Amino acid sequence: MNVGFIGLGLMGRPMALNLIRAGHDLRVWARRPEAMQPLLDAGAVAAISAADVASRVDVVITIVGDAPDVERVALGPDGIADGARPGLIHIDMSTISPEVTQSIAARLRERGVTMLDAPVSGGEPGAINAALTIMVGGEASAFECVKPLFEAMGKTISHIGGNGAGQVAKACNQIVTGVGVAAVAEALNFARKSGVDAGAVREVLMGGFAASRILDVHGGRMVKRDFQPGFKSWMHQKDMRIVLEEAHRLGLQLPTAAAAAQLYNAMVGSGLGEEDSVAMLKLFERMSGGEG
Amino acid sequence: MRVGFIGLGVMGRPMAEHVLRAGHTLGVWARRPESTAPLVEQGATAYDTPAALAAASDVVITIITNSQDVEGVAFGEHGLAAGFTRGAVHVDMSTIAPDAARDFARRYAEAGIDWVDAPVSGGEQAAVAGTLAIMAGAREDVFARVRTLFEAMGKTIVRVGEPGAGQVAKACNQMVMVCALQACAEAMHLARAHKVDLAAVRTALMGGSAGSRVMEVMGERMVERDFSAGIQARLHHKDFGILLDEAVKIGAPLPIAAQTWQQLNALMAQGWGYDDTSSLLKVLEAASGSNA
Repeated sequence: MNVGFIGLGLMGRPMALNLIRAGHDLRVWARRPEAMQPLLDAGAVAAISAADVASRVDVVITIVGDAPDVERVALGPDGIADGARPGLIHIDMSTISPEVTQSIAARLRERGVTMLDAPVSGGEPGAINAALTIMVGGEASAFECVKPLFEAMGKTISHIGGNGAGQVAKACNQIVTGVGVAAVAEALNFARKSGVDAGAVREVLMGGFAASRILDVHGGRMVKRDFQPGFKSWMHQKDMRIVLEEAHRLGLQLPTAAAAAQLYNAMVGSGLGEEDSVAMLKLFERMSGGEG
Repeated sequence: MRVGFIGLGVMGRPMAEHVLRAGHTLGVWARRPESTAPLVEQGATAYDTPAALAAASDVVITIITNSQDVEGVAFGEHGLAAGFTRGAVHVDMSTIAPDAARDFARRYAEAGIDWVDAPVSGGEQAAVAGTLAIMAGAREDVFARVRTLFEAMGKTIVRVGEPGAGQVAKACNQMVMVCALQACAEAMHLARAHKVDLAAVRTALMGGSAGSRVMEVMGERMVERDFSAGIQARLHHKDFGILLDEAVKIGAPLPIAAQTWQQLNALMAQGWGYDDTSSLLKVLEAASGSNA
């Protein structure tokens, strides 16, 4: 397939490389040209704008920072809509709010572009190993059409519902992981303050009902004190903001997510924003007079 | 002084009347012309557009709903900015985001127009009695020029700092007040669960360290089960959206405010947004299955 790819960061670059490996023709664009180089080395072709990408492909994938970035690249000057050929499919794999996604999808539809929202979970290792979880919202026919692309980047691929449904699933994912990281950090800090070996606690918990991916992976890194990102805590802070803004809009009570979101605020405010979200442990240690 | 006034609602109308009674020349504008009638009868002059009002005023006071409304009235078509002469002052007494207030101050400064953010606390009662608490963000000389107007409307008048600082103080005010309201509701809920007389509990508490304005006014509404507004809860809900959004931007953890925000979300979902915020008691009752 002729595929455009915009957003060659920590996640986007390995995802794009997996598409090339699966035999697709890739056209890329980035605001900073140097970001394109690893892809050009692997056989991708450079474009001069998002519109230029859109004018030469059947599918454009974006994975960028936040809602205004998606809006600019899709609908701004020299954006995807400006270059789109009829029938173009735009897959946005960024994590943004369901409400904004629906609004962008409606405006793209007026200009003949079909949008799918397809945020991912699994972090950088998942992107490199083509093992991402991909949650998709939008027309089922468009989903079927681009499914081979998803299969080149991910392992668990689900069509959840209409436009925005993928972002709703991602928001649910961020509630569970955001609260989960806080719960694991709390438990391991509790163990340490009680004079018990946190590694041993984690290991035994993995055999019971408290076992989870978060306890396994994030808990493991807390025990090893490996705070390298990974998934930076300012990104999780951003995602929790999206979750709570939606809750505010819907009049929906999310007490546990709200408490966790404040802990991410504290992380960013106290200089842990660039570290992995497992640095939540440091926050608890500081508040309890420990290492931090 | 030639004073313009926009926003003749529950709060604005009595405030405008105080300005008029203090001997100032009053001009008014409203989207719905009929809402200017009570002021016109008392001697105010109605204008066709905010720009026309601004051209005839030394100071224009606005007290309207949110940042977008203030921006529209100030910088929209036929807005205040189009009518002000150099040296005029826009005193905005609405509750909006500190960031928005700073932005408006900057945009006005380019045209030689001064800005004061001066949100109020005390509700309808204090507006009618002319005893509002007014927290201002302004340059010191600008504040000195409009101080007599504040003295006509309020009792506690504080210049907190530069533009935006008034809104920061108001955010703190809303946080303390509504969190206290939630604490008060929880206390009343606990007393009721023990089948203890709420009025007696409230009277006892008022004499001790838990006594507060909120306990006095809102506590009584809870005892009487009089949930009619008061202060419409939807306005507090709006304020908490602003507050927690700012907390994300500056990385400030606000754990208790975050929990209270979720209770406000639940209140909105129950359809009680137009009732007084003492309805937080009913949210607790609904959650514990007692009659709400």
